[in-house]
Amino acid sequence: MLVTKNAAELCALLVNEIYGQLPSRIIAALLARGRSNVRDLALYTSLNPKQVRHGLALAIQHNLVFYQTDHETAATTYEANPQASYHLVRVGKILDVINRKYGTMAKNLVNDLLMLGHVEVAELIRYHKLKHGRKKATLNGNQNHDHEHDLDLDLEDGEPDDPFNNDSHDVNGNGAGHSAADDMKPIQVDQVYDTMAQLIAAGVAETVSTTMFQSPQDLKASVEQECMKEFPNGVRGAKITAEFDGMVKSQIKAIGAERSITKRKLQESALYEPSNIKRRKLANGGISNGFAGDSGGSVLREEPNTVVRLNFDKCLVELRNQKLIEHAEDFVGDTTAQVFAALLASLCRKVYRCQHDQHTIMTEEEEETYFTGVRVTTEEVFDHLSPGIDLSTGIGTASEEDIDIRFAEKIRKYPPQIQGSNLHGTLDEGDEILGSDDEDYDRTGERPTGAYMNGHQNGSVAQNGTTNQTGTSRIEQIRQMRQHLLILAEAKQQFVRHCGQNEWTVDFGPLIQQLRYVELDTMIEDSFGRQGLRLTRILREKGKLDDKTLPAMALMRKPDVHVKMAEMEMAGFLEVQEVPRDNNRAANRTMFFWFFDEARTLKRVLDNAYKSMVRCLERLEVERYKKRNVLSVTDRRDVQGHEEEMLRGDVYTEYLEFLDIEKKLLSQVSRLDDLVSIFQDF
Amino acid sequence: MDEQTPLLKKQLYEACEEACSSDPDRLFTQEDLTALDVIPPKDIKKLLQLIQILTNERLFAPVHLHSGLAWRLRPEAEAAKYKQLTSHDQVLVYEIIDAAGAEGAWQQDIKRRLNVQDNALRKALKELEAKRLVAQFTTVENISKKMWIKANIKPSSRATGGPWYTDQFLDEAFIEALQSVVMSFIKNRGSYLSKGERSARSVSPVLPKKGVINGAASEAAIKSKKRAADAISKDDTPVAPPAKTRKTIRLPLPAGYMEYPTTEEITAGIQAAEVAKGQPLKQEHVQELIDVLVWDNRVEEIRMGNRVGYRAVRIGKQNPSLYSKPGDEDFWEPRSNGLTTAPCGKCPVFDLCEEGGPVWAGGCEYFDQWLA
Repeated sequence: MLVTKNAAELCALLVNEIYGQLPSRIIAALLARGRSNVRDLALYTSLNPKQVRHGLALAIQHNLVFYQTDHETAATTYEANPQASYHLVRVGKILDVINRKYGTMAKNLVNDLLMLGHVEVAELIRYHKLKHGRKKATLNGNQNHDHEHDLDLDLEDGEPDDPFNNDSHDVNGNGAGHSAADDMKPIQVDQVYDTMAQLIAAGVAETVSTTMFQSPQDLKASVEQECMKEFPNGVRGAKITAEFDGMVKSQIKAIGAERSITKRKLQESALYEPSNIKRRKLANGGISNGFAGDSGGSVLREEPNTVVRLNFDKCLVELRNQKLIEHAEDFVGDTTAQVFAALLASLCRKVYRCQHDQHTIMTEEEEETYFTGVRVTTEEVFDHLSPGIDLSTGIGTASEEDIDIRFAEKIRKYPPQIQGSNLHGTLDEGDEILGSDDEDYDRTGERPTGAYMNGHQNGSVAQNGTTNQTGTSRIEQIRQMRQHLLILAEAKQQFVRHCGQNEWTVDFGPLIQQLRYVELDTMIEDSFGRQGLRLTRILREKGKLDDKTLPAMALMRKPDVHVKMAEMEMAGFLEVQEVPRDNNRAANRTMFFWFFDEARTLKRVLDNAYKSMVRCLERLEVERYKKRNVLSVTDRRDVQGHEEEMLRGDVYTEYLEFLDIEKKLLSQVSRLDDLVSIFQDF
Repeated sequence: MDEQTPLLKKQLYEACEEACSSDPDRLFTQEDLTALDVIPPKDIKKLLQLIQILTNERLFAPVHLHSGLAWRLRPEAEAAKYKQLTSHDQVLVYEIIDAAGAEGAWQQDIKRRLNVQDNALRKALKELEAKRLVAQFTTVENISKKMWIKANIKPSSRATGGPWYTDQFLDEAFIEALQSVVMSFIKNRGSYLSKGERSARSVSPVLPKKGVINGAASEAAIKSKKRAADAISKDDTPVAPPAKTRKTIRLPLPAGYMEYPTTEEITAGIQAAEVAKGQPLKQEHVQELIDVLVWDNRVEEIRMGNRVGYRAVRIGKQNPSLYSKPGDEDFWEPRSNGLTTAPCGKCPVFDLCEEGGPVWAGGCEYFDQWLA
């Protein structure tokens, strides 16, 4: 993550918003000053070391800070983890997506995880029961809060790895107590364990190992140091270097494998058997929440000391899917977007992260799927499709001779290349145009098309009634779904790649790149109108152009073009290069070339988004200050949740006004985060 | 000069005329002239003499090529005009303007090439203009340049700017109107107009669509230019009656659709629609229009083998039912994102905005407006 001044400010504000001022100050200092030890931090933040340690414990608990202890000097240095701080802005979205995909209990569990940072499974479940088990029981509202408070303190006091409760006894005891206390909605411990197991297996939650508290760079460095001991004579020469690199790589792989032991175990426990999925789907009507087999939960139960935390990488994948579906809806249509959603859902079972760099630690299985890409079959997609969708809608009809099946079903074996500022090979490149190569397209579509045409004719002859003799059959529905997939594959954005006989994949990299352009274009069109968009797109396609060619191409008047270009240059969307024709550098003897610097523009826009978010949060702070009289009342424990009854009429209206403002500002922040995600994280 | 010479001269000129009847701009080299079989072969001297006479009579215009000297034929009527010229300056100036042809000659250029006084040049031009031999005009490339052209020909399309220019000015209204015609043509031919009739009855989900195929999208319309013409007629009322427009939506066509309109078809459509009567639009002009629409992000290219068709972008968002006013074909739902909306996305002083600076979030009037 590129940490600009605005980004640093934003991170500090976000931490402040959720975890309070103490960690926020420490994070801000760490971001500004870089890696520091406790003494330095105390100096920078004007806090005493005890407070600093306290804040650091909280930050470490939530992975907002990495630390690294030097073996020789035993000195510990701390470093900010801006990515984790930034992720806090997505908390709401993540909860929403989890709720939709894994059900309410999963959402509550994730919420608890976000509150607690990393935590032992047994402890998490105890907390979960405490919080959600009693929520409905109005009697114990206060007690609930006290517990929460205690827990937070416990955690903040550090020693996160220290097992501080005897699990099974404690949990069971609690469970018993609760089921007696609230008869409204008893929480089954088994069910909680199962949901947790499901989350871990899906990758939404991950098990924590000690290596996770180091930044990936530090981790690599320490592994390298470790390996260096094997080479007392130093690493010189090609052969030794290769050996050394191999060793480091395998060590890091081992770390990755160690991290995913539990996940693998849970995945193996019959979780991802297709039959299982289908069973679940039938039972729960689409939402794959129930998790039929109890083996996952029992695996987890046997290891109650497993420490877990939320895995933002996987959550990002879910958010990315969400965004892609929205875009598919925008570009193609609603039904098609639903099909796309099903495709993504089945595809992303094996996708654990959106991006990777040289420091990303992956297991071998992840690496394989990452680099070769994952593909799914039509059948798998269909299994993930929610049954309520009317697949016949959303596509127009055309007479059959207008449809060329060879083009519709064309198979593209290789992903498009990202070249410079333009994406080539979206539709026309790739394999050569058919010609003699007949194996180039998927023939599965052919026969059913004939059948479909028959169906069509039948339908139009017998217009009313005769709904579905051939109809609802699975084959017919799959055929209709394929039509949607083919449209997605044909779209200019290439949402989907038809990569083999009845196999589909998504090239996330190029697709996201396209979406970046879409967002950029939206911005340009909004600020500079259609003509501004036209000019920038010409420049993006053609490279540098002088101000004679441009008006002719854009069919615009020269003065208009100049005004627009100057405007856009001021706003930083365009750059101009001056090439003097002689040594005098007189303006009339100089050629001006306009161009569009994509990387720079993206960076600028990204930073603007950060800045805009910072301003919204700052404004929120100001609004809170303005309404501090009201808010001090509503902050009281006895008022919370009962505002309407407890507050005086005018105070209550004022409170509602504030809530409205807060909602506006926070939703604006969330919209801006959508942009940041596309430009940076997806 | 013997009595044979005028005869030979006439013969040579006529032979040349005949040789270049198909291509009026043909150039004749010495070899070409010998090959015409008028002059006895090897009689270079005679040829030279004849060329000299013809050149003097302005029937031949010498042209300097890299390979040597060549001559272009000048029609007798044109040659006769030289006889009206009275001064040497006039002849020189007229020669340059004549040679420039439809492109015209820039006054500064003439001056530089002849190396004459400004006064003399202006005098000569004035005299020529009075004799109605030359005329002044302006080119769209540089309006301030004084350009001269022979009075009896029209400036080239490069100088006038082709169909997009009217009186040296870019005719933006014309371009815009044509764009919307092209846009609606592409939209109608490249999408399926669902009238929403089937939603009234609850039809089984698998039954194929019953919506009436839009006339423009049907096979018949594609084959016959006539139907295509009324498909792009501006008043869309017969296609989408206002009573039903609420449920009328455009849908994408199935993958592999081969009939997305190509440039040729769009050109034919425009010609059939007779929207641009005075200005016959050629294919390359229509291509320019389409390119602009592509850059505007309204239309996208779609290749099916060798066929390059065009279709509208985000067809689902170009719903006739959402027209702001009837007949407004170019409507679509604009996209938006976090930075296009208030307050910071539109802020004119965003760069100045700073905590503790002259503009800051707490005292920002744009925020005040937005939150109010």
